[in-house]
Amino acid sequence: MKNKNGESLLSRIFTLRNMAVTFLVVYFAVFLAYPIIKAFAGSLHDWNPLVGTYDWVGFDNFKQILTDKLFWSSMWNTAVFAGVSTVFRIVLGLGLALLLSAKLVKCKDTLRGLFYMPTITPLVAVSFVWMWMFDPQFGMVDKVTGLDINWLHDTKWAMPAIIIMTIWKDFGYATVLYLAGLMNLPRDVYEAAAIDGANSVQIFFKITLPLLKSTTLFIVITSLISYLQAYVQILVMTEGGPGTSTYTISYLIFDQAFQKYNFGVASAQAVILFLFTGVLTLIMFKISGDSEDLA
Amino acid sequence: MRFKKSIAAAVAAMSIVGLAACGGGTTGSGTTDTKADKGLDVMGKTITYDPNHLVNDGKPIQIEYWSWGSKGTDPVYKMIESYMKIYPNVTIKTVNVSWDDYWTKLPLALKGKNGPAVFNIHNSYDALIRPYAADYDIDTEALETDYSTASVHEDENGKVKYVDSVINTGNIYYNKTLWKEAGLTDADIPTTWDEFIQVAQKLTKTDGGKMTQAGFNFNGDAYSAIYQGLNYQKGELLFSSDGEKANYNNDVTKENMQFLKDLYDKYKVGSVDFGNDYTQSFGNGQSAMIYAWGHMEGTLKEKYPDIDYGVFATPTFSADTPFAYDRYNGESTPGINKNQTKEQQAVAQDFIKYLLANDDYIREAVAELNSFPAKVSLQDDEDILSKPVMAAIQPRVDRLIWPGPAPSTVESSGTTAFQNVFQNGMSIDKALKEAQAQMDADMKSSDFTSMESKYAYFDEHK
Repeated sequence: MKNKNGESLLSRIFTLRNMAVTFLVVYFAVFLAYPIIKAFAGSLHDWNPLVGTYDWVGFDNFKQILTDKLFWSSMWNTAVFAGVSTVFRIVLGLGLALLLSAKLVKCKDTLRGLFYMPTITPLVAVSFVWMWMFDPQFGMVDKVTGLDINWLHDTKWAMPAIIIMTIWKDFGYATVLYLAGLMNLPRDVYEAAAIDGANSVQIFFKITLPLLKSTTLFIVITSLISYLQAYVQILVMTEGGPGTSTYTISYLIFDQAFQKYNFGVASAQAVILFLFTGVLTLIMFKISGDSEDLA
Repeated sequence: MRFKKSIAAAVAAMSIVGLAACGGGTTGSGTTDTKADKGLDVMGKTITYDPNHLVNDGKPIQIEYWSWGSKGTDPVYKMIESYMKIYPNVTIKTVNVSWDDYWTKLPLALKGKNGPAVFNIHNSYDALIRPYAADYDIDTEALETDYSTASVHEDENGKVKYVDSVINTGNIYYNKTLWKEAGLTDADIPTTWDEFIQVAQKLTKTDGGKMTQAGFNFNGDAYSAIYQGLNYQKGELLFSSDGEKANYNNDVTKENMQFLKDLYDKYKVGSVDFGNDYTQSFGNGQSAMIYAWGHMEGTLKEKYPDIDYGVFATPTFSADTPFAYDRYNGESTPGINKNQTKEQQAVAQDFIKYLLANDDYIREAVAELNSFPAKVSLQDDEDILSKPVMAAIQPRVDRLIWPGPAPSTVESSGTTAFQNVFQNGMSIDKALKEAQAQMDADMKSSDFTSMESKYAYFDEHK
């Protein structure tokens, strides 16, 4: 069957646009929607896909999780890890961006590249290198600082050590975003402030920081989402130890699913993390929306 | 317009090809074998294998073998080569899957119809592969006669899905150079823990109050293995009397945890802050003695070839024969996929029989896996016993106990307890209680039943 342009029905169906849309829909359905729905359903079952166990248990997995001390300590660890890492990422990122944007600093491109390099280095490789750097016998950290700390095997220092590594790896991302933000700030506002006699501290807090609010919010949202899901550095550097002192919620999910093959409990934990991340993102979007309204 | 249509057609074609590639074919192509008489001798003593026959009626056939190992670390690879030389119509394609992926990919593959006909097994993952594994088509009595540990693998129908090719257990590895430096000789090799402490103290060095050499190091994951051995030495089982629950929080575990803590805190032969990983610390020449299983031989050969080391049997608490010297674990013979076609399963069964009757397989396993032969006829073999680790295991082999394919929580929760006591300052009582609770929670939905009752000296336990 041909239309008035002489195109057959098949050629109208198999257009590049239709194909592209179909692929996107299939991609999202298979790799996003299906796993999420499956995890929701799995959270209500005693589930081990490797041996075919899939028995209905209702909300038992949730009850088990919510009464489990390890779940709550993992949630707390996650909050500390995400909160501290995000704050330092922003402070360091903004500080360096301001430094790089200053007229006195030379070799800006080289420095920018240098600071961004850890961000594009694989996390597994970085984690291994830092693990050796933290070694009390031959590691660089103790040698350089003159400290005598068994960083990754001391319950007081294990989480701070992981956070230090994470901040080192990630601050470059914030630096680049802030640099872009700083370059786009309107010059006339600064000229007006200079004419009014504002000093550099006043300019920073009253003009620069408020104008960078949308950049900051973007970094906060993306950082929190990625840090809530962090587990690679935990897996490589401490495996959750000493004891369970560096268990994060994502590491706990990994442990339940791929060490203990308890996919039902792992799914229930993932559902809670999903809801938590969703609520947090909504709050951030709300704040972001409000700030744009104000602007 | 034509360009867009071409791209659309190409994309559609690629998708179809991609989807088609998801299916797998294993029909053989190649040589047909017509010569049943290979002119080869019959192999084996009780389990025998006569190679003078046709496999798959001589028609070409291809099967797959999956393993996390490779040539040099998995003895089956070499045996595949020799088998294919005898039977040119059979192609066994080897597929290497990394350890981390193996235990998710393999069960999913075995569930379907295109899974490998033969696959490597680690008995700690028994629960995952057992539903898909076929019984060996070999007389169980013959297996028991030839393989000393075969009986523990029999199910309630007297059938096995795999047995141990070789077994291993813990030993003490010592650095001969540091040993000599401390003025110690072979006559000082300790047999009791009291003697061991004295030797370890001589091997420990400090400089200005800071440790520079540990006499004994069990940092890292050594505790998860050593605590099991220490408990067995005192006659304490790892599992409850019904075999379904972990038996961790008890007086003996408490005593042994205190004993280990005393080694560091009271006798000062090591430190939790010196050498975070016992194997690495030993390899770097910083720790003079460690408790390790056979894998240490491979690690030393591969990573630390310059270390001059020796091996001796793990000491005991007294000169009397203990309930068991330690736990042992076996390296398993391959499994057969019961969901594969009858033709493929028949080839797989033939290949397994070839392995079990063939001493070369066990010798290869001894060499590659640094483990002691489970095959009775090779347990006194001079060539095998010339290896220090084999000589250390051989006198104790009858007094080693296998608890069964224990769930991973028995080791991982034990490690957590160790870290809580040694690194987090938790009391032994609390750490053991928490670990027991974790083990109970993890084993709640497990079908595991301990094999401890099959141990020959089971009645001697506490």
